[in-house]
Amino acid sequence: MANRPMTEPAASHSIEIEDLTKEFIVGPTTVRALRGVNATIATGSFQFVLGPSGSGKSTLLYLLGALDRPTGGSIVIDGQKINELSREAQDHFRRHEVGFVFQSFNLLGNLTALENVLAPFLPIGVNASLRQRAEDLLDHVGLGNRRRHRPQELSGGEQQRVAIARALLKQPRLVLADEPTGELDHQTGAEVMGYLRGLRDELGTTVVVVTHNESYVETGDQALRLRDGLVVCD
Amino acid sequence: MWRFAIQNLVSRPLRSLLALAGLSVAIAGMVGLFSVAEGIDHMVSNTFSRIPGLAIMQAGAPLPLFSRLPAGWADELSEMDGVRVANPEVWSRVNVIEGERVLAPPRFLFGTSIAERKKLIKDVYRDAMVEGRFLDASDHHKQHTVISRQIATDHGVGVGDDLSINGDPFTIVGIYHCGQLMLDVSIIADIDVVRRLTRFDRDSVCAFYVEPDGTVENETLVEQIRETFRGREIQSTGNIAGALATGNPLIDLLLAIQNWLAGGTRANSLETTDSNAEPIEVRTADDWSKRFKEFSSDLNLFLGVMTSIGVLIAVLSIINTMLMSVTERIIDFGILKANGWSRRDVMMLITCESAVLGVAGGVIGCVLGLLGTELVNSTWPNRLQLYASPQLLLFALLFSATLGIAGGLYPATWAMRLSPMEAIRRG
Repeated sequence: MANRPMTEPAASHSIEIEDLTKEFIVGPTTVRALRGVNATIATGSFQFVLGPSGSGKSTLLYLLGALDRPTGGSIVIDGQKINELSREAQDHFRRHEVGFVFQSFNLLGNLTALENVLAPFLPIGVNASLRQRAEDLLDHVGLGNRRRHRPQELSGGEQQRVAIARALLKQPRLVLADEPTGELDHQTGAEVMGYLRGLRDELGTTVVVVTHNESYVETGDQALRLRDGLVVCD
Repeated sequence: MWRFAIQNLVSRPLRSLLALAGLSVAIAGMVGLFSVAEGIDHMVSNTFSRIPGLAIMQAGAPLPLFSRLPAGWADELSEMDGVRVANPEVWSRVNVIEGERVLAPPRFLFGTSIAERKKLIKDVYRDAMVEGRFLDASDHHKQHTVISRQIATDHGVGVGDDLSINGDPFTIVGIYHCGQLMLDVSIIADIDVVRRLTRFDRDSVCAFYVEPDGTVENETLVEQIRETFRGREIQSTGNIAGALATGNPLIDLLLAIQNWLAGGTRANSLETTDSNAEPIEVRTADDWSKRFKEFSSDLNLFLGVMTSIGVLIAVLSIINTMLMSVTERIIDFGILKANGWSRRDVMMLITCESAVLGVAGGVIGCVLGLLGTELVNSTWPNRLQLYASPQLLLFALLFSATLGIAGGLYPATWAMRLSPMEAIRRG
C-alpha cells in the first residue's frame, strides 16, 4: 500500500491491547468506559467483542480504528502504536488500512451506492481503476444493479452490503464492525455476517465484530467479553 | 469534492435557496448603489472629455453659475499667447419653462457670445446639432435659442416653436443632443439677451471658456493666465462663493447656493495690496473630473456604509445556513472521518459548499444588479444614468465569493474539531 505511515508488520502480526483505559467527561461526571483492557487479537482472525450495553465494546472498537485516543495504555497493530501516530497518520491509517461497518449503516444520503463506496477517496480523487474496483465490489455483494440507487432506495440489508463494499474498497488489513446486524432480521444478518467471514477467508483480513447477539459466534471464532470496561473472559 | 459539495447543497434546496437569495439581494443592492457613484464618474469623464478647453472662474466657485468675473478680462485673455478664443459665459438657473416649475433635472440659461463662439474649433453644442441650426450673427439681441433634444421632448416643442423660459418667450432655432446629463441641461442664447432678461450686470460674466490654439502647453497656459491675474481683487455685491470655499465640492456647492440666494450679480476688478491673491481658478477637464471624483468618493463612503448593512445580514445568513447544515450532518462528518477524511478535508468540503453559495450568489446578484440599473436607466432616460462597470461587477463577484467562504469558515472550523467517535455516537 502506497505511503503506508506505519512500519512494516512486525513478526507478531497481531493487535496488542495493553492496559487500555478511556474516560469521558460528561458534565460533572467522569465516565470510565474502559478500565484497563488487555487483549491480543491475532492477524487474520475473526474476533468477536461481546458484552451488554455500556460495557465498553464500541469504545474499544473505535479506539482500535484510531477514531479517538485512549486515556491510558496502548494499542499496537503490527508493531506500531497507533495511539501515538500523528493526526495525519491516523487519517491515513483510517483511509487505507481500516474499514468500518456500523450498526445503522451510516451511508451518506446524498450519494448513490457507488459514490458511497468511493466516499473515502473523494478528497484525494477517484481514478478509473478505483471506480471499476468499486463497481466490482458492488457486483460481489450482489448490488451490481443498484449502484445508482441512493441509500433511501435500498433495504437495510442492501445498505449494510454497500457499507461492507465501502470498507473493502481500501483492501484493509483490519475491518471493524459495530453491531453490523443490529438493525437487520436474522436471515439478512446472517448474510452480512457471511460476507464478513468471506472477507477473512479470502483476503486474510482481521475482522473485529462487536455484537451482543452470540448466535453468530461459531466454533473457531475468538471472543472477548467485556463488562463495565473490563475483560471478563477472553 | 466540488461535485459532492454541490450535491450537499442541492439536497437541502430550500435552505440553500434562502441563503442564496439573501446573498444575491445584498450583492444586487451593492451593485445598484455603487452604480450611482460609477454613473456620476462615468458621466463626468464622458462630459469633460468632450470639453478640451479651460474654464476661467472666480476662485472657490464650484460652478460657473456661482462665479463672477469682470467682463473686461476677455480682451486680456484673448491677447495671450496660446489662446485662440476666450468666450464669455453667463449662466442663470431656469425656474419655469412653459409655465411648469423646473426642479430636476435642472435647466440653465446659458448666455454665450455668438461672435466669439463661432471662432471655436471644437464646440460641444454646435458639434452636437441634430435639428435646425446653431446661433449665428442673425440671432444677436434676439430671443432665439438652441435647446437640447431632451428639453424639446419634455415640452413637446421643435424648431420654429416658441418656448417660454422664466416667463420670457424664446424662439427655438436649433436642437442639439450631446447625450450627457450635464450638457443637455443648457438653453443657449445670446449673452446680451441673457444678461438683459436675468438683470445680470453688463460689465460682468460668470466665466470664460478658453480654447487654446495649441502653440503653448496647457500647463504653461494655465500658469500664464494665473500670473496675469494674480494680485487682482474681485469686488462683488456679496454673492461670491470663493470666500467660503471649503474644498469639499458638495459643501462648496451648498454654500454657494446660500450666497447666491443672498447676493447680487456684479463683479468689479481692483488692484489689491496682496500681490499673491489668486482671484481666479483655471480648470481643465481633468480638474473638473477630480473635483467630481472627490464628491463621488464621499458618496462611495456613504454607499459603502449602507451596503455593509446588507452584506452583514447576508453573511449572517450564510453562517446560519452553513451552521444548520453542519449541525444536521454531524454524523456524516463522523462517517467521513472514520473513512479517512482528515479535518482539513471536512473543512474543505464545507468551505466549498459556502464558496459555491458565494459565487452563485455573486453571479445572481450581479445579474440582478445589472438588470436593475438597466431598468432604472430605461425608465428614466433623462436622469443620471447608472453605470455598473465590468470592474464593479468583477469586484462584486469576488466580494461575494469571499463572503461565502468567510461565512462558511466558522461552521467549518466547528465541524473540523468534532470527534468522529462523538459524532457517530450521536447517530
